[in-house]
Amino acid sequence: MDYIDYYKILDLKKDATTEDIKKAYRKLARKHHPDLNPNNEEANKKFQQINEANEVLSDPEKRKKYDKYGKDWQHADQLDAQQQQQRQYQSQSGGYGGNSYSGGFGGDDFSDFFSSMFGGGGRSSRNSPFKGQDYNADLQLNLLDVYSTHKQTLTVNGKQVRITIPAGVENGQKIKLPGYGAPGVNNGPPGDLYIKFNITDNPKFKRKGNDIYIQEEIDVYTAILGGEKIVETLNGKVKLKVPEGTQPDATLRLKGKGFPFYKKENQFGDLYIKWQVKLPTNLNVEQKELFEKLSKF
Amino acid sequence: MGANLIPLEDICAYHHVEINFIQSLEDFGLIHTTVKKQSRCLPVDELTKLEQYLRLAQDLEINLEGIHAVSHLLNQVQQMHEEITALQNELNYYKQLNQHH
Repeated sequence: MDYIDYYKILDLKKDATTEDIKKAYRKLARKHHPDLNPNNEEANKKFQQINEANEVLSDPEKRKKYDKYGKDWQHADQLDAQQQQQRQYQSQSGGYGGNSYSGGFGGDDFSDFFSSMFGGGGRSSRNSPFKGQDYNADLQLNLLDVYSTHKQTLTVNGKQVRITIPAGVENGQKIKLPGYGAPGVNNGPPGDLYIKFNITDNPKFKRKGNDIYIQEEIDVYTAILGGEKIVETLNGKVKLKVPEGTQPDATLRLKGKGFPFYKKENQFGDLYIKWQVKLPTNLNVEQKELFEKLSKF
Repeated sequence: MGANLIPLEDICAYHHVEINFIQSLEDFGLIHTTVKKQSRCLPVDELTKLEQYLRLAQDLEINLEGIHAVSHLLNQVQQMHEEITALQNELNYYKQLNQHH
């Protein structure tokens, strides 16, 4: 547990006035407030530090104690005596007021240093309700998992959560499950659970938006003379006609055979099939002669 | 009262906020409320937004005009995040193609 320099956090000098502290706090809070920095863990952490610094420096009693014992906080005897007085103060006054932030952040917002010096106190001693902390979780899926809507059970902070994963979810997409975060404080509402989907690439099916791209090999004879080819799509095999004279890299589009649109029933992207013409190798003498004949036409 | 509607009186009492504040948010087009059984209510799915605006007002002392601007900018940031995700996925598609060749 390290000493925390609250003055440094708020970029203040030791002789800062109450007004200076308020101004510095407001300035930094506007910059790092979690509502203004969604999904930014760094800002959230910084905001908690600012909040803690303000909790101490804006309260004359706490500031006095911090200034007196801050750096020597490990001198337990003295601290204990101080804490005794502090507890007495808390029980008389009903806890600290202060300008502490109340929205969207869970209970464990204060450092061990703070708890050691001032007891559990801080915001949690306030009676006003506030929302529990939001949880974030990553879910690893493969492309075929998100081709159709399905249910999955996750364990988040020891709790089983059954979620519906809609077809067509994109890699990196986040969904919010309201109320599945940490419990609220003082009867406040629970936080939310954010799930980010990480979808692994598929070696065969390449996704671009809702369209799917694949490559299929055909031999040179089918390419020249035409023929049929059975191709595997996301929802089963299809028999395709290869027109005669098909060029290498020619692309065929199968409308509606691509990926489902997110939360749009019965809407699908397209499937693009690029023909890869495989040239024969290791020709025997007869085959070589036939190709030579062909080349003279 | 429907399960998906919360009377504004309850919200005001819970969050210690004046009803005028919620009405002003609605005037700015930031939330919408509805009337049921002669009582003005907030749909549950609007609650997260309302609570965020309350925090901006109470925690950061941002006025309604400021909240309106912040909300607009946050929506833009959200859209840009979604656009970045889509572009990253598209870039990934081309990277895979390159590896294939």
